[in-house]
Amino acid sequence: MDLTSAPDAADTAAQPASEDDAGTPPAIFDVENLNVYYGDFHAVQDVTLPIGKNQITAFIGPSGCGKSTVLRCFNRMNDLIEIARVEGKIDYHGVDLYGLSIDPVEVRRHIGMVFQKPNPFPKSIYDNVAFGPKIAGYKGNMDELVEESLHKAALWDEVKDKLKESALALSGGQQQRLCIARAIATSPDVVLMDEPCSALDPIATLRIEELMQELKADYSILIVTHNMQQAARVSDRTGFFNVELNERGQRTGHLVEFDETGKIFTNPNVKATEDYITGRFG
Amino acid sequence: MATRNITVDTSALVRRSLEGKRINWFDQFVAIALLVSLLSGLLILATLLISVFSSGFSVLADRGFDFITSRLSPDAADAGIFQAIIGSLILTGFVIVVAFPLGVGAAVYLEEYAPDTKITRFIDANIRNLAGVPSIVYGLLGLAVFVKLMGGFTGGRTLVTGGLTLAVLVLPIMIITTAEALRAVPQALREASMGVGATKWETIRHHVLPVALPSIFTGAVLTIARAFGESAPLLLAGAVLSLFFSNASGAGVGEYLFDEPYTAMPIVIYNWARQPQQDFVALTSAAIIVFLVFLLTVNGVAIFLRDRYERK
Amino acid sequence: MTIDSTQPPEPVDDVEPLPLDETRHHFSETLDGIKLGMVQMGSLVTENVRRAGDVMLEGRLDLAPVVIEHDREVNRLYAELEQLTFETLARQQPVAGDLRFLVSTTRILYEIERSGDLAVNCVNVAQREHGLPQSPKLTALLNQMVSECCSLFAAGVDALADMDPVAGAALDAKDDVLDDLVGRYYTEIGRVSEEIGLETAIQLSKVGRFLERIGDHAVNVGENVAYVITAKFPGDTHAGVAEYE
Repeated sequence: MDLTSAPDAADTAAQPASEDDAGTPPAIFDVENLNVYYGDFHAVQDVTLPIGKNQITAFIGPSGCGKSTVLRCFNRMNDLIEIARVEGKIDYHGVDLYGLSIDPVEVRRHIGMVFQKPNPFPKSIYDNVAFGPKIAGYKGNMDELVEESLHKAALWDEVKDKLKESALALSGGQQQRLCIARAIATSPDVVLMDEPCSALDPIATLRIEELMQELKADYSILIVTHNMQQAARVSDRTGFFNVELNERGQRTGHLVEFDETGKIFTNPNVKATEDYITGRFG
Repeated sequence: MATRNITVDTSALVRRSLEGKRINWFDQFVAIALLVSLLSGLLILATLLISVFSSGFSVLADRGFDFITSRLSPDAADAGIFQAIIGSLILTGFVIVVAFPLGVGAAVYLEEYAPDTKITRFIDANIRNLAGVPSIVYGLLGLAVFVKLMGGFTGGRTLVTGGLTLAVLVLPIMIITTAEALRAVPQALREASMGVGATKWETIRHHVLPVALPSIFTGAVLTIARAFGESAPLLLAGAVLSLFFSNASGAGVGEYLFDEPYTAMPIVIYNWARQPQQDFVALTSAAIIVFLVFLLTVNGVAIFLRDRYERK
Repeated sequence: MTIDSTQPPEPVDDVEPLPLDETRHHFSETLDGIKLGMVQMGSLVTENVRRAGDVMLEGRLDLAPVVIEHDREVNRLYAELEQLTFETLARQQPVAGDLRFLVSTTRILYEIERSGDLAVNCVNVAQREHGLPQSPKLTALLNQMVSECCSLFAAGVDALADMDPVAGAALDAKDDVLDDLVGRYYTEIGRVSEEIGLETAIQLSKVGRFLERIGDHAVNVGENVAYVITAKFPGDTHAGVAEYE
């Protein structure tokens, strides 16, 4: 199955993966011709790719290539920006996320997000995790849900005796794991991560990468990272985005290549990809 | 041998360049000048307090509590500021009840809900302008609208009128300080909340407002202080200078708010300062002392509440 | 947030660092997998050398296809492990011991794969000659050579499985025994060359060379193992890396 897409090879790209394909996992998202505009500015152009279920998919690329913009389309966070306009289709379990009847608030319960700088609520550790389920109307045992979420985020042992203390007293790495626990507390099946380790030291980073490998079993993970070595270590599939000047002289991002990570980092198809990962251009 | 000499010389050179050469006179001068400005401000304040205290203390010492509980009277020996205190407290209460919710609500709408259009920016700019309008203009507004236009409802020159006038006066300040407090809340917090599936209002209610509350309270403190000390608008909107027969403790609340003439502390101070009799000088100072005590108390309560929320 | 300049800055690391074996699980498992694959390959080759001995000494030409089949498996493993090694080098940014391990793996894989080919070569000779001549002295020597070669190669594979630098470095001395035997084998061939014919003599001496080369490959495997652990090749006096306790 040819997953690579040079800009003019759209016909060979984006064949939705099905279980019938030899060993390829089913797709949880199917993106087709995604375009994002900020007012007049064409930020992202014609992105088409599948996102595999229970896989870690990484987006890499230079600054301003639109990878974060694309990520934020998956949970409709771009809705919060007034001048943002999203065109194209993102199918989630076969449902168009941008359909007219779709409630973005519900979308965000199913598709969680972890941000670049850890941003726990200035509340207790317990309340941080409990907030999402609470406003979603969770009627079950909240204590158990909080404990389970913290376990899954590999944070329980470190905080089980201080659940009522402020989340801001934790270290950076712990705060980010708390944000992960918070994101998975609403029982999503997808976790989006926008450069989750860029504010952390190397040891904390490795712990989060380890955690991602564990979470893969239950969640589909989509990570944007400017650290391509991280993408190489951690992801199953990698998408390389790059910036190009369009006809109007705007720097528009587009998807250059999307493939198994092993292939991208040992023998990419597109020269621009090879130049980027070997550090030949920034 | 030669090498060692060179090493020693280098070391001496480095030492000379690292050791402080001259005292930086300019730095010292600036520090002193700033200290002088601080002291000047304190000096002016101290002068005010000392003159007021020395003048008015005798009255309080002689008459004590009686001064506070007596009514207004043309006779300096009998005059007290009871009605003024009640008036000021009720007016402040009005300001809190009316301006606080309206101000916070307007600011929340402007900052969190309103789209960034020309109209919104126009409104925002004009609110700032309103905050700078002299208070006497609000007095005229109060006179025209609350006294005359809505006279049937407010009863003319009553506490309701005065309260509404003051509330309108401080509303722009309240909106501006609340808007600033909301703007200071990091966007990351809103994103985090929306990211777990909260609606806009849930985000505001559970996260944005609690974080902004200490600063909002600071704004409230400012508005209360402003309202407490305003005299010009009240003069126009109907506070009475000399009040001889209002039963501040006998009338029912409704009547008192809507029917009776009223006064306030700044008004009384203004009036007594105008009196030719010598005794009223000390009385004025005494009233100022009481006024300052009340002001500090009201401020203190607001600050206490703010600190409590900040610690949470 | 106010900065209290009277206090030293707070350390930013997590409070409790994890024990060493809890991070990079995936990477550790990959490295273990590669080592296991190499040991498997090595075992297959050791077996094949023994079988080649049976083919040559006992005329068991029926075992020839088995040897060839197993060598195909060795080659398959070679391709697979090499690909995996390159991918791991690209993706995991290994340093220090991990880097030495992966680089040595590429070398070890080559040594093992070549040894496998040499065993097949022995079998080919036996097939071409329809069995090897039964001169008692030659047979005895060949028997010893095969035995020594097997044991040497197995020792190399063991050193690899245990990552034992001492065992790895010891193979060089062990190889001297095999070299000595091969020397005597050549001498004996020279002595009976007129009887058996030139062509046969050449084929027979080829076998000697094959077995001797397998021994050399085994020694290289051992030396690479020592390098992985000590960052020095045995006998190398100018290694630039620090020694570990």
